[in-house]
Amino acid sequence: MTTGTRLRLDRVSKRFQRDGQAALAAVNDVSLTVEPGELLTLLGPSGCGKTTTLRMVAGFEQPDDGRIYIGDQDVTGLMVYRRGIGFVFQNYALFPHLTVFENVAYGLKVRRVSTADVARRVSRVLELVGLPGYERRFPNQLSGGEQQRVAVARAVVVEPQLLLFDEPLSNLDAKLRVQMRAELSRLQKQLAITTVYVTHDQDEAMAISDRIAVMRAGSVAQIGTAEDLYRAPRSAFVAQFIGRVNLVDSTVIAVTGERMTVELWGASLTGPVGPGCGAGARVTLVIRPESLTLVPESTKAGATDVVVAGVVRSRTFLGEKVEYTVEVAGALLHAVAYDPARGGVHEVGARVGVSCDAGAVRPLP
Amino acid sequence: MNRSLRDPVLLPAVLLVWAAVLLFVLYPLARLLFLTFWNGGPSLDAVAGLVRDWTNRAALVNSLVLAALVGVAGTALGFMFALLTVRANLPSWLRRAIDAVVLLPLISPPFTAAIALIFALGPRGLISYHVFGLTKVNIYGLSGTLLSETLTYFPVAYLTLKAVVANIDPNLEDSAFSLGARRWRVFRTVTLPLATPGVANAFLLVSAASLADFATPLILAGTKFPVLPTQAFLQITGLYDMRGGAALCFLLLVPALAIFIGQRRWIERRGGSFVTVTGKVGAATRVKSLSPPAIVVLGVVCGLVVLLVLICYLLILAASLVRGLGADNTLSFAHYAHVFSGGLKAVRDTLIIATLCMPLGGLFAVVLGFLVARTQFPGRRALEFAAMMNYALPGTIVGIAYLLAFNDPPLALTGTAFILVVCYVFRYSLAGTRATTAVLAQVDPSIEEASASLGARRDVTFRRIVLPLVRPALLAGMTVLFIRAMTAISATIFLVSLNWSLVTVRILEGITNLELGQASAFSMLVIALVYLAVVIASLAMRRLNAGSLGQAGALLGG
Repeated sequence: MTTGTRLRLDRVSKRFQRDGQAALAAVNDVSLTVEPGELLTLLGPSGCGKTTTLRMVAGFEQPDDGRIYIGDQDVTGLMVYRRGIGFVFQNYALFPHLTVFENVAYGLKVRRVSTADVARRVSRVLELVGLPGYERRFPNQLSGGEQQRVAVARAVVVEPQLLLFDEPLSNLDAKLRVQMRAELSRLQKQLAITTVYVTHDQDEAMAISDRIAVMRAGSVAQIGTAEDLYRAPRSAFVAQFIGRVNLVDSTVIAVTGERMTVELWGASLTGPVGPGCGAGARVTLVIRPESLTLVPESTKAGATDVVVAGVVRSRTFLGEKVEYTVEVAGALLHAVAYDPARGGVHEVGARVGVSCDAGAVRPLP
Repeated sequence: MNRSLRDPVLLPAVLLVWAAVLLFVLYPLARLLFLTFWNGGPSLDAVAGLVRDWTNRAALVNSLVLAALVGVAGTALGFMFALLTVRANLPSWLRRAIDAVVLLPLISPPFTAAIALIFALGPRGLISYHVFGLTKVNIYGLSGTLLSETLTYFPVAYLTLKAVVANIDPNLEDSAFSLGARRWRVFRTVTLPLATPGVANAFLLVSAASLADFATPLILAGTKFPVLPTQAFLQITGLYDMRGGAALCFLLLVPALAIFIGQRRWIERRGGSFVTVTGKVGAATRVKSLSPPAIVVLGVVCGLVVLLVLICYLLILAASLVRGLGADNTLSFAHYAHVFSGGLKAVRDTLIIATLCMPLGGLFAVVLGFLVARTQFPGRRALEFAAMMNYALPGTIVGIAYLLAFNDPPLALTGTAFILVVCYVFRYSLAGTRATTAVLAQVDPSIEEASASLGARRDVTFRRIVLPLVRPALLAGMTVLFIRAMTAISATIFLVSLNWSLVTVRILEGITNLELGQASAFSMLVIALVYLAVVIASLAMRRLNAGSLGQAGALLGG
């Protein structure tokens, strides 16, 4: 199978002209590189330009500015059918009048592969996606998950340089989605095809990706591994989009070397220093819900945490965890407690102490 | 640079279609306008000359009045039929029977209703004289023309409105009921407003058909009630006054174009280009908005109309089987003998031309539909509009324009079969184009993108993906072409020749020579052939899993 193709977008922009209105920048000056064999996810809310970016890579849309390179070749002006890509559509886009075999064989026949080779390669790829024996069925006789597999088989059988997924799992139910994303991930690793994957589901992105590019309003807000993005978001947007978060405004009290002390709910807390933070600077602190622990009201602060009084305003019992909203100093904070069977559940209206661990608090740059 | 034009296949396809439209739609119309307004220099003589003549002024007014009246009557009747068949919970065999009868006027050759009305309501008519004993019934003039055209064109309104009424979500009416409204109030405040766009559309369609109708007034209008299409015909065939005929065409063109543009605007404002109605009928709730007395009233009115239509066709059948209906009622196959001897050439010519039209027009329809629905190129909307002109304009205009454009070298096509085929292809492909865009509207564009992403060029995608998917539309389009080629008269009358004679022209000759029996026999033959075509097409449709007769019928609607 083809391996080792790098995809590079160089300052790509796309504007859409609506009748009589000013051009709308759908994608604005996006540069990114997908390494050979890597799976990069474009993640963002609807309208952020992720699908437009993917469609420009495929060649369905033409960028207004910028270049797109697949390997060393500048494909910016190349027609779709000459780019050597595999594209998996949100609605699968299986040809309704062709059987599973004919659907998967389509790209091979267009490439004038010999009949014997077509049969061999189709049956091999159907085996790969777990659908042996489905050759003669029609798409409308398949379940959603099966259609999805055929769509993937059809895309990979031509041994594309690049595999492109446009929200491929969003038409499946929740359980199947989790199962399919594991399968897609396995298949992609096995074939080692450079892949771009578009989704608005952050769980899916974190589960499947080597790296994630979070997009917002046509631009890339941050690229990194799931861990990077979760631990060290560079903007409030990224912090809020990847996981749940409390953003708390604060003031830097003092900076000593790698550590700084910030004010938090009237107490002071010492943690790792953020870039560009000096004494007296206003900062926004990122506090993940799991860093907040609900403790009895009378608990005293330790050396590495602060404790503040709060009132439980709502709780959602989810089995393995309980999500709380706690009112602290007039603001509502998200907190989560795992294993409630052991830790107990706080009722709405209960007065509690909220403990925050210093190591988990990060300032936004 | 526009990306789509770099496509190696799209550009030639667009250029080819444009070239065809320029040559066979815009060029003839330009010649017509040129003759009207150019007499050694720009001139209004021709039009001014017309307007001075009482007959022509009356023709303009009469045409407009008639169109409006037929529009109102036909739409009202069509709406009543639609309510009855969709909303009255009729048993399905009864609905199908009504559909079959109502389809008759749509697929009949011209003059059928007119001849039948003379048999039924003429001075010696079956109903007027033999049943009611009336002797002073005047079927000629406005009343007879109005009645005949209403009977001929109300099915257009019926088919349009049937889809509209069926697509009103019954849940909306149910929620009005749940809010405490009674039947009449629900009908008035929910059903009727939701159907209004469809009603307006139907009115415009029926008016346009009436404005363009040439055959009915030729038989029934008489000299005291001149209308534009017949005046233009007489101006050219009677007086050999080309310029006068062209000027009359211009008078006809203005309201026809206005109606056409009005109808397009109306539909577009509501979001669809061709397709007014899409999607499935809502939840399977029983519709309750018609009260039993209302159903009885609708049933009586529609039943009488169905009866009248049936009587008309039975009279035609009878006339074709006796020596002279009303005068000598002895059974005779003489008329059919004539059809299959002296008339055989016309039958053969008509079938040859209809058969030639089907593949050519079908392909043109599908390619145009695909270009309009699925591609972007400069001038796309202009092309769409231009391609619809011949369809939208009355046949008389198209016929005279073709006569002017293709009578002399280098394009001396008159007298050939080619000019008839071309005329039909550009006049009657639109049904196929509409069907194609309707089918493509149901097919997600990602299907074609998937093909491109797998390495297929535009032409490969078109051949292997689009064509198989639009097969039902192609079939429907070809069926309509066949039917129209069998029944057209208004444009054809100017284009036939000794070499190529058509059945509809023989029917007209039969009427003018007062050989109504022969005309009836020819009509029955056409009806039989067309019904056969519709049945075959709907069987094929069923094999393609694409609905049935109703769909093919709906395409005839406008």
